[in-house]
Amino acid sequence: MGRGKVIDDAVMNFAVTGKDHHFLVDADLEDEFSDSFRCSVCLDLLYKPIVLCCGHISCFWCVHRSMNGLGESTCPICRHPYNHFPTICQMLHFLLFKLYPIAYTRREEQTLEEEMETGFFSPQFCYKECNSDLQHHHPMDGKHALDSCFLRNGEFCASTQQIESVKSVSMIQVPTVSIPNKVCDENCCMIKPDSVEENNLPEDKSNRNCKQVSIADVQCNTCKQLLFHPVVLNCGHVYCETCIGPVNEMLTCQVCQSLHPGGLPKVCLEFDHFLEEYFPTEYAMRIEAVQAKQVSVKFQHPITCSTKACEKSFQSSFVTTSENLSWRADPHSKVHPRVGCDSCGVYPIVGDRYKCKDCVEEVGFDLCGECYNTCSKRPGRFSQQHTSEHKFELVKSNIIHDIMLRLVTGQLDSAGDDASGISENESPAPILSSDAQDSSSNNLASAVTHPDSAEDENETQTTR
Amino acid sequence: MSGGIARGRLAEERKSWRKNHPHGFVAKPETQPDGTVNLMVWHCTIPGKLGTDWEGGYFPLTLNFSEDYPSKPPKCKFPQGFFHPNVYPSGTVCLSILNEDSGWRPAITVKQILVGIQDLLDQPNPADPAQTEGYHLFIQDAAEYKKRVRQQAKQYPSLV
Repeated sequence: MGRGKVIDDAVMNFAVTGKDHHFLVDADLEDEFSDSFRCSVCLDLLYKPIVLCCGHISCFWCVHRSMNGLGESTCPICRHPYNHFPTICQMLHFLLFKLYPIAYTRREEQTLEEEMETGFFSPQFCYKECNSDLQHHHPMDGKHALDSCFLRNGEFCASTQQIESVKSVSMIQVPTVSIPNKVCDENCCMIKPDSVEENNLPEDKSNRNCKQVSIADVQCNTCKQLLFHPVVLNCGHVYCETCIGPVNEMLTCQVCQSLHPGGLPKVCLEFDHFLEEYFPTEYAMRIEAVQAKQVSVKFQHPITCSTKACEKSFQSSFVTTSENLSWRADPHSKVHPRVGCDSCGVYPIVGDRYKCKDCVEEVGFDLCGECYNTCSKRPGRFSQQHTSEHKFELVKSNIIHDIMLRLVTGQLDSAGDDASGISENESPAPILSSDAQDSSSNNLASAVTHPDSAEDENETQTTR
Repeated sequence: MSGGIARGRLAEERKSWRKNHPHGFVAKPETQPDGTVNLMVWHCTIPGKLGTDWEGGYFPLTLNFSEDYPSKPPKCKFPQGFFHPNVYPSGTVCLSILNEDSGWRPAITVKQILVGIQDLLDQPNPADPAQTEGYHLFIQDAAEYKKRVRQQAKQYPSLV
C-alpha cells in the first residue's frame, strides 16, 4: 500500500524531528482545495469522482471499496441504499483537474501506485478520441476540452512500449516516466501546461492551456447551458434537474442511451454550490430563466436526500432493490457474490451472469442477463480491453447447480461442512460453497472483482 | 491488507484535527516505544460537558481502528469498569453511530465520534444498556447515580 507508507514516513519524520508545523510538508506546496471536493471517505481531494443516486460524491475506489459484494450497498455519507456501481463522472473529473492540477496529479500518482500493487486498474481517461461510444463528450464546435475516452491500459505496466503509448495520450503522465517533471513541479510549485501540450495533443484541445474553468466545462448535455441543479446519471453524464424532467419509465441517458436504474437521481449539491459560487451571474440568470419558464415550485426545492416524496418514488421504481433484498431469503436465488455487471453496474449480479472468455485482465468482464440480452457495448467499469468480438459464457446458476449436484450424489447433508471450510467470514456460506464447487476459473472470477476479496480468495485456494 | 485506505484516511484525520478541533478534547495517534507513530490506535481525552455532572472530568478514550476503516467503525474504549449505562464492563462504548449495522457511515470523522461520545455521557440511552450497575442506578436511584458520576469526574482530573 504505497500511500500508507509515504504517510507513515512523514509521520515518523515528524516524530523524530518534532517539527509540528512541517507535518506533511508537501501539502504546503499544493493548491488548497475546497472542502466541497473533499471525499468523505478518504478525506483527500476527490479522485475519479462518482456521484451516487443520492447526490453524494466519492472517489472511484472509495465507492467501490465501500460497496457490499453480497447485497445492497449504502451511501458512505447518508446510508441511502443503492445497487448499481455508477460510472465515473468525467465532467467532474476534468473539472477537478483544471481547478487543482497539482493536487489532482498527486492523487493520480498515489492511486496509480496503489493500483499497480493491487493489480486492479480504474478506467483511464485521455483527450484523444478513440472510442466512438463516448464521442458525445465532444460537441459539434470541436472546442470542448472534455473530450475523452477510455484508455485501454489494462496492462500498461507490462511493457515500456505500452507505457510510452499511455504517456502519449494520458492527461497526466504516468509517474514512472515523469519523475523529472514531478520533481520540477514540486520545486517550482507550479504545473507546466506545456508538458501536456507536448504529448501530441490535437490542436483543437489547445484551450487546455488555460486553467480557467469555462462554462463549456460545466454545461448540461441537453440544454447546453450552465448546469443548474445538476444531477448525475448512473452512466456519469450530467444534466440539469429540469432537463431530465419527470420520468414514468426507466430514465435513458440522451448521450449514451444507457438506462438509468431507479428513479430521478438527486441533485449533486456540492457541485451545485460550486457552480453558484464560480459563476454567480450566469447562475443567477439560470435561476431566473428556469423560474420564468416553469412557475411550478418543483425547482425551488432541489430533490435532495431529505426529500421524502422523492425517496418514495425512488424506492418504488427501483425494481432491483426488492430483487436484491430478497435473495438472501430465497435459497434458489442466483446471486454472484462480488461480481458486478460491467454495463449497468449492478453489484452483485443477481440472476444470469455472462462472463467474457477473452478478457485477460484480472478483474474480468461480466454482464448481467439483461445487459447481455440487450447487446450492451459499453466499456468495462475498470480497465478491461473488452471488444465486441469477445465471446461470453453463461456462468451457471451456482446454487441450483450445486443443490442438484448434491441431490444426485446424495451429499446434501455435508453442505454445511463444505461451506465452513471455504470461508469463515462470509455469512451466506452456502452461496460460497456453491462457488467452490464450480470450476476454479469461475471461482477466481467471482472474487477478483473486489480487490479486498482477493486476499480472502487466495486463502481459500491455499486451504483447498 | 492491500489496497486499504485506513492509514491514508487516518493521516488526513490527523491533519484536520491539528488544523482545528473542539476545545478541551485531545486526540493523538499512539507513539510506540521505538518512537514511531501507530496511526491505528489513537489516545483521546473527552472533557465532561460544562454545566453537567460530568464537568471537570477528562475521560481517557482509546480508538482502535481496523484495516477496514473507514468501511468499519473504530472500536472506542474507556478504561475498564467505566461508569456509564451505555459502556460495557470492558469499557467499550455502545453507540449507534459506532455500530456498523445501524448508524455508522464512512463519512463520520474522529471529531464527530468524540463529540458524539461527549453527548452520550450526559444523555445515556436507557433503551440500550450495556452494564447493569450504571443502568440500574440511572433508572432507579437518580441521587446515587449523580453522586457516582461526580465521583468519577473527580477521578479523571485534567492532566494539563
